[in-house]
Amino acid sequence: MTEKLLEIKHLKQHFVTPRGTVKAVDDLSFDIYKGETLGLVGESGCGKSTTGRSIIRLYEATDGEVLFNGENVHGRKSRKKLLEFNRKMQMIFQDPYASLNPRMTVADIIAEGLDIHKLAKTKKERMQRVHELLETVGLNKEHANRYPHEFSGGQRQRIGIARALAVDPEFIIADEPISALDVSIQAQVVNLMKELQKEKGLTYLFIAHDLSMVKYISDRIGVMYFGKLVELAPADELYENPLHPYTKSLLSAIPLPDPDYERNRVRQKYDPSVHQLKDGETMEFREVKPGHFVMCTEAEFKAFS
Amino acid sequence: MQNIPKNMFEPAAANAGDAEKISKKSLSLWKDAMLRFRSNKLAMVGLIIIVLIILMAIFAPMFSRYDYSTTNLLNADKPPSKDHWFGTDDLGRDIFVRTWVGARISIFIGVAAAVLDLLIGVIWGSISGFRGGRTDEIMMRIADILWAVPSLLMVILLMVVLPKGLFTIIIAMTITGWINMARIVRGQVLQLKNQEYVLASQTLGAKTSRLLFKHIVPNAMGSILVTMTLTVPTAIFTEAFLSYLGLGVPAPLASWGTMASDGLPALTYYPWRLFFPAGFICITMFGFNVVGDGLRDALDPKLRK
Repeated sequence: MTEKLLEIKHLKQHFVTPRGTVKAVDDLSFDIYKGETLGLVGESGCGKSTTGRSIIRLYEATDGEVLFNGENVHGRKSRKKLLEFNRKMQMIFQDPYASLNPRMTVADIIAEGLDIHKLAKTKKERMQRVHELLETVGLNKEHANRYPHEFSGGQRQRIGIARALAVDPEFIIADEPISALDVSIQAQVVNLMKELQKEKGLTYLFIAHDLSMVKYISDRIGVMYFGKLVELAPADELYENPLHPYTKSLLSAIPLPDPDYERNRVRQKYDPSVHQLKDGETMEFREVKPGHFVMCTEAEFKAFS
Repeated sequence: MQNIPKNMFEPAAANAGDAEKISKKSLSLWKDAMLRFRSNKLAMVGLIIIVLIILMAIFAPMFSRYDYSTTNLLNADKPPSKDHWFGTDDLGRDIFVRTWVGARISIFIGVAAAVLDLLIGVIWGSISGFRGGRTDEIMMRIADILWAVPSLLMVILLMVVLPKGLFTIIIAMTITGWINMARIVRGQVLQLKNQEYVLASQTLGAKTSRLLFKHIVPNAMGSILVTMTLTVPTAIFTEAFLSYLGLGVPAPLASWGTMASDGLPALTYYPWRLFFPAGFICITMFGFNVVGDGLRDALDPKLRK
């Protein structure tokens, strides 16, 4: 757990729009350790998905570095080098209805990575690999020649997982992989992801807004607010001892199926003015306890630690 | 009902694999669309009309006693009879044969213009939409400028510069015709390039050509096909219109347009000289339009059950 797989240093992703610059991701720094699951939570539009997509180079980062095994992913790269990164880093998408090409058979979808990286020498080998992958994600071999529209949401999401696994990645970015599925299927997909992690030693960046699901799958959790990371801590620590007022606010919003608790639950609102920033002072990301980082002012830092 | 003893029940064999089984026959989206097209009666009528006209255009002149260019002044301007089903024109040529020879030329012009539009439009539109930014801006402004010049003016100018003939007509029509196709393809590409399956392919390391021709163009094929089908009747009609301006195919070749324009002065005395070619222009345009509409309905994913 101590080996860093991914280091993100001062990652910035700004989009220029006619109405000014949108700072979708603003100066983000964190590490992901080998074999862990890092959960990333935050409200809609806070830059979670953009972070994931910038890491995997779907967007060209405005500034900052993403080091994978010590090597920068961004910047000018030869095609060979890029293909290498593409094999090691994969992504699972949010919408199982939009993430599979409706004109291709399941076999062609799953084998796309094999085709691009020329991992299968013969047609037979390619088909065999597709069958293996289908079985890995709990689908039938006979499904290979069908089209995506014939499957349910959960089945499609598993096809998406099989496609990502085809190139034997080390690191998978799961961009809200379960938010489009109904609850019974969510557990199925999350458990499949957990099993695969154990089996293949995968590392996950799990982006979601369902806090209970994130707690279930993550080792550590990062909380994002307006393009910035405000708190990063081990999962249990974050739930038991939230420090940043925004994290407290998020946690206070989780409903429980318990009428007594629900009647007394007070939802806290987050108001950035509680930090009482002095003129010229900025918030910084500080380590208050080993492994527990909070975005805070100097005064708060003293109070926390 | 209550009297059925318990021992008559037998638990069904539980088979883990069965849970994921899909019993419906596998259907690709194309097959699905074809099924829907076939249940559309009007479109099927249109398709039958087009097939019949094409078959007649190919075979009728081969098996006729008459030749489309041999004149026989003794037999001029005869009304439809047993010998000449559609009558004869002012030079005694059989109108039945000339109609089908004209069909060859009219349909050839229509189809050739549609195919050329397709090639140029798809390439121009997909590059413009996919590259985006400044490339898109420049390419679309060029199209806008061409679109702004009255197409008739451009066609007439071209006909003056180029030698008179079939290919000049086709080129003249393509020079403005492709813009419509390019705009439609660009719109589709803009919409499709941010689909998650395209992003997924990108994270797997696909090249631009793969993204375009494996993912984007096949999914835009529906609109492309519909546009193409609707281009054919427009081209046939434009050709007829050019014939009236004296810019049609040179004699003794016949197209429906030149035949109709030759027949017009004699309308009061020998109406069949105008009626047959004009009638076939109408029927063919009807056929292609109905088939185009039918295709649009059949390929519209929103209508899928």
